[in-house]
Amino acid sequence: MISVQNVVRTLHRGETAIPVLRGISCEIAEGDFTFIVGPSGSGKSTLLYLLGALDEPTDGEITVGGQRFSAMSEPERDAFRRSEVGFIFQSFNLLANLDAVSNVLVPYLPSGQAAARRDEAVELLKRVGLGHRLDHKPGQLSGGEQQRVAIARALLKRPSIVLADEPTGELDSATGEEIFRYLRDLQAEQGSTVVVVTHDQRYIRPTDIVLEIRDGRFVGQASEPAETESP
Amino acid sequence: MFTFAIGNLLSRPVRSALSILGLTVAIGGMVGLFSIAGGIDNLVRSTFELIPGLLIQQRGAPVPIFSVLPASWQDELQQIDGVSVVNPEVITRVNVIDDKTIISPPRFLLGFDIESRLKLRRGVYSEKLEQGRFLEQADQGTFNIVVSRQIAEEFEKGVNDTLRVNGYDMRIVGIYHSGSLLLDVNILADIDTVRQMARFDPGSVSCYYIETDDDADQDILQQHIEQRFADRTLQSWEPSLLSLMSPGASDGNPIGAFIRQLDAALRDVPAEPEPPAPVAPSQPSDVESEPDEAADPAAESPVEVRTADDWSDRFREMTGDLDLFLGIMTAIGVSIAVLSIINTMLMSVTERTIEFGILRANGWTRRDIVRLVTFESGLLGVCGGLFGAMVGWGATLVLNANWPDRLHLYAGPELLLFGIAFSTLLGVMGGVYPAWLAARLSPMEAIRRG
Repeated sequence: MISVQNVVRTLHRGETAIPVLRGISCEIAEGDFTFIVGPSGSGKSTLLYLLGALDEPTDGEITVGGQRFSAMSEPERDAFRRSEVGFIFQSFNLLANLDAVSNVLVPYLPSGQAAARRDEAVELLKRVGLGHRLDHKPGQLSGGEQQRVAIARALLKRPSIVLADEPTGELDSATGEEIFRYLRDLQAEQGSTVVVVTHDQRYIRPTDIVLEIRDGRFVGQASEPAETESP
Repeated sequence: MFTFAIGNLLSRPVRSALSILGLTVAIGGMVGLFSIAGGIDNLVRSTFELIPGLLIQQRGAPVPIFSVLPASWQDELQQIDGVSVVNPEVITRVNVIDDKTIISPPRFLLGFDIESRLKLRRGVYSEKLEQGRFLEQADQGTFNIVVSRQIAEEFEKGVNDTLRVNGYDMRIVGIYHSGSLLLDVNILADIDTVRQMARFDPGSVSCYYIETDDDADQDILQQHIEQRFADRTLQSWEPSLLSLMSPGASDGNPIGAFIRQLDAALRDVPAEPEPPAPVAPSQPSDVESEPDEAADPAAESPVEVRTADDWSDRFREMTGDLDLFLGIMTAIGVSIAVLSIINTMLMSVTERTIEFGILRANGWTRRDIVRLVTFESGLLGVCGGLFGAMVGWGATLVLNANWPDRLHLYAGPELLLFGIAFSTLLGVMGGVYPAWLAARLSPMEAIRRG
């Protein structure tokens, strides 16, 4: 369960305070496939990064699996991201110097566990149809292939939460469909909670949770999960 | 992470290569500069390994050529327990050979008592003889000489050829090669011949070379000899050559006055305003004067006995000062190289902001980021150190090969390893600030910047 309680996030540009999130609350049940939708600049990505402990709220509280972020130290947040969260970004964000397998193994490079998890990484890449591209670097892969590598990287750690920021933003429709198919298959297998930020609502299914955000506040939910607070 | 770091450096090949080049030049320069001091140290050590005996010279004289001792002390020295052979020597500088003025490298006429010389168990020149023969009893009073291969080659002479030294025709009977720059400058001749050529007082010698008994303790013998002559006084040391330049002149000679002041400083006594100078420096200085009533009864012995270790220590003091100077010179080059690394890593970090954000998003800690960046800069340092050490070492070999009679540079394994380690340290240190910058970015900020 992800719980967001009265979260405020204000950014500062020089002396100007820019309120991005203005006290939002919601709850996302474990295993849900959730979309956060809204126009550009509405605060979708900011909320996503807060859910992944990549950023800290100015006010309010986020709790994931009973762990309050405000009570976590920085190393604990690092460990949380390392073991619990899989990120997928719009621009894929692969490391240009590493081949597909090494990119998938990035979370384990510092701890020296990369070699031990290599077989798993290869298996995941095969699962997303990249068995023939294992030693290719990002520059040698298409956009869709790069995003599949990013999905494999996010899922290698068997995360409890997958956070995707516009994962199909730079892909054509067919490839976008394909990416969502992989995401849904793997989510179904691993039982992860998936939160996707998008402004493209073509990939939303009726069973998905949709949180619409505008000007830093939730304006409505297409589907109201149990115990989910209305904005 | 090792492969990752190497890949990051290789992805910016020109920049990485320039950083490594900067360090290579700095470390190569450092190795080259310190090889001067290393060469002196190595030369002194290797030379004095060939001369295991003791050298007795006048106290205060920096080197034996400035020393004058009474020749009559030979017998007295021979009586001391532990002394096996006493070989008196007279040394003078060679100014002209075959009408060529000798400036650098210097050449010296080393005259020694042939009879006692032949009794030495270890005689470096006779052991290192390459052609002809060594001096024999029959050479006493003759102008027969043994020269180094270096001198023979310089003047294109061989055995039985004549070499004109300071205006005297001398016949080469043998050629030696010790391999030491300190020894291969000498032309060996009979002591009386050298005295005659240098107008050196027949009752004086420059120094004594002493070979000790096998079981003698050199340190104890050193003290014993110095104590034995403690009650003697000698004319203060003055360079015989300078004296020769203006024989008899002392009062009005500014060089003589300078030497006296230097002498006084070395002996830690105030220079007298009116130099006594009753005895001309070119005159025999071996007068065993009566104990000086004005002298401090606890005054030091007028002679000093130097072992090979003493010479090494003396040279080490000199190279210590040289090291300081070389260190300052090196610091300039190294500073530039470090700035180059900092610049390279700063540019790298700036360009890779998103990458660090991605790594943080994937659970990398700030510490992991710092490790990665400093590891990369450390790799630049290792490469720069390796290349620099190789370049510096190669340069010393080339320079030694080109000027064998003038240079003795030595870049030993310790210096090379230090160069590599120092360069690695510089590389790591150069990466610390960029690494800190990279690590302090919030992951979200880093990703959003892209």
